[in-house]
Amino acid sequence: MAVLTAPERTSPAPPSPRGGRARGPRRTPPMVLAFLLVPLLAEAVWVFWPALQGFYLAFTSWDGVSAPRFVGLGNFREMLHDEVFRTAAVDTVLWLVLFGGLSAVLGLAAALLLQQERRGVGFYRAALFLPVVFSLVATALVWQAIYQPDGVLNQLLQSFGLGSLRHAWLADQDTALYAVIVPALWRQVGYVMVLYLAGLKGIDPALYEAAKVDGAGRRQRFRYVTLPQLRSVNAVVLSVIIIDSLRSFDVVWSLTRGGPYHSSELLSTYMYSTAFQSLRLGYGSALAVVIFVLAFGVIASYLVRAFREAD
Amino acid sequence: MRIHREHSMTNQHPSRRLFLAGLGAVGTTALLSGCVTAGSSSGKSSSGGGAVTLQSNLSAPQAKAAMEDVVAAYAKKGSGKASLNTVAAETFRTQLPTYLTSANPPDVYTWYPGSVADAYAKKDLLLDLGEVWSSPELKGYSKALNTLCTATSGKKVFVPTTYYWWGMFYRKSNFAKWGVQEPKSWDEFLDLCDKLKSKGIAPIGLGAGGNTAWVASAWFDYLDIRINGAVYHRELLAGKHRFDDPEVRKVFDRWAEVLPYVDPNGTAVAFQDATTSLLNGRSGMMLIGTFFADAAPKNALDDIDFFRFPIIDSKVPLAEEAPTDGYFASARTGRRDEVVDLMRYLATAEAQEIYIKGSSGTVLPTNPDAKDAGTPLVQKGRQHIEEAAEITQFFNRDSSDALQPTADTALTKFIAKPKSIGSILTDWQRDAEKIWNA
Repeated sequence: MAVLTAPERTSPAPPSPRGGRARGPRRTPPMVLAFLLVPLLAEAVWVFWPALQGFYLAFTSWDGVSAPRFVGLGNFREMLHDEVFRTAAVDTVLWLVLFGGLSAVLGLAAALLLQQERRGVGFYRAALFLPVVFSLVATALVWQAIYQPDGVLNQLLQSFGLGSLRHAWLADQDTALYAVIVPALWRQVGYVMVLYLAGLKGIDPALYEAAKVDGAGRRQRFRYVTLPQLRSVNAVVLSVIIIDSLRSFDVVWSLTRGGPYHSSELLSTYMYSTAFQSLRLGYGSALAVVIFVLAFGVIASYLVRAFREAD
Repeated sequence: MRIHREHSMTNQHPSRRLFLAGLGAVGTTALLSGCVTAGSSSGKSSSGGGAVTLQSNLSAPQAKAAMEDVVAAYAKKGSGKASLNTVAAETFRTQLPTYLTSANPPDVYTWYPGSVADAYAKKDLLLDLGEVWSSPELKGYSKALNTLCTATSGKKVFVPTTYYWWGMFYRKSNFAKWGVQEPKSWDEFLDLCDKLKSKGIAPIGLGAGGNTAWVASAWFDYLDIRINGAVYHRELLAGKHRFDDPEVRKVFDRWAEVLPYVDPNGTAVAFQDATTSLLNGRSGMMLIGTFFADAAPKNALDDIDFFRFPIIDSKVPLAEEAPTDGYFASARTGRRDEVVDLMRYLATAEAQEIYIKGSSGTVLPTNPDAKDAGTPLVQKGRQHIEEAAEITQFFNRDSSDALQPTADTALTKFIAKPKSIGSILTDWQRDAEKIWNA
């Protein structure tokens, strides 16, 4: 094992590691190797290989039919001057802040509210968690009906005497992005709530009692007991939220397709439409690489932190 | 799920992680060699015989059933067999390049003739169907169809089977109730819009919202072929003119005249909802293709009528949008003879009549001997197209599917902000150049 941990192992032609291991005192049983290598092979074929292809394509111009033409950093240079890319990047940040921030805050609030074991609390938990069960595309269809010009939302506004606020929510560039965030939030809050509920369950009640004895009020107990105890859950929630924000696609695509005129465009929808609608697969791959780098940066920094804590 | 994975990762011993990472890198570099271009390298041909695979995007229930009838009838004839594979229209569109470039592709595909087929033909992906065209089944096909199905190389690459038309559709009973008539000229059309608006009806339904933003392109197409003519229109879509040229600007100036009459929900609802509004009398008329009738209730069908998109400049040769549908085949098919036999059958009057009978019946057969559905609407439609000196297909069919999203963005933006037309056209030209140069 010790031999294999050497970082040089990443080079494509390693100097016969097999022989070295056989002579070693702690020989890995073949069964373990099989358990490692077979899934690795599957992963290599189905995940690493296409991923590397994606990286290669990011440096090409490809229409999906002819052979890809190598263009070096051309795609990334184009990105610098691409207004739509800028809009999509800004929208993605907005999405991250609004969708991510609100789902964390609302999820935590819901978890705190529903953590006590009272009669009927299970019903409310289930009700909040239920949207997670639906596919986002199905969710989007329901919300599309709600947002229709004659839909539930506009009719509600009308019946409350707010008819002047009636609106084509998804077709107006000023409201489209926010109108899409709401269904995504509606679904995410339940998920984050469950994460926090699990975290809250793990807090030792003795801590609260001790705090109470010391004269801590509700707010102080939350600030000095609950929040620090939830630190590990927070890390999970943070990475889940960031990854979910960056890969948010289905709900936007089903509701607006990034429109009207790119006003609700996210990096993910822009990547999809560039690659599969405009058939500019090279540029689309370059966008995918940008998304990957962003997501990977977050995950890597999270993992590094997690390992440091574990050691 | 996600949490489990992250926890298991944190539990792993660091050395094992590095080991995995190292092995992964070794494995993938070895695999990298033949990766991307594998899809583009030329394929082999599978052994002949067996059923011809027919990849169809006709996934609407009626059309799908009609296709099944056609395939069943072909099997009964006994000369060959086809296996139908119906794919959702959107999936089909995005997957088509993959189908055609794969090593073992499906044999025959539903798709469009003209520049769309020609683009694939230029890449040597389509089977030469000259033999089908010289067969007796296609003898009576019109000259225009012949040209439409011929690639730049001079090869025949497409077999057309049906076509339909676009027009200003309305309900006869509603027009009678409102006391209005079909307009002939642009001015009469504007008067009609005025009259309907004063009655509190949205004069023009659009339906460019939801996932059908492309419907707005019909307005662009029609205004362009009325003002600049079909020849200019085709050249524009092929990249021989610029979208920020003054000719194109004239199109939008005209369009701006009718914008006040367009249903304010025009870009908020999909065409299916817009046609429902039309049938319910909430909107007066709508520029749409006959396919919308697929979803119309049967009792409304007899009440539907249409008029020609008003003439703007009588000096411009009359052109109409009449998209043709049909089939092409993969150049890599291993069943060339069987494909030719199937194509010849699909071109017969019999096959086309079976399809028309099974579907909503608002399409016209390309075979001159085939009978259409025979309703007054269809007869009027046939005459409507025959009177035209030029036929255009539709925005995406006359250019490419890749250019369509650029039009969707430009046109929805114009409808929302007609005043910024200058910058919209500049952006459109810039986006279109990226597609043309791709």
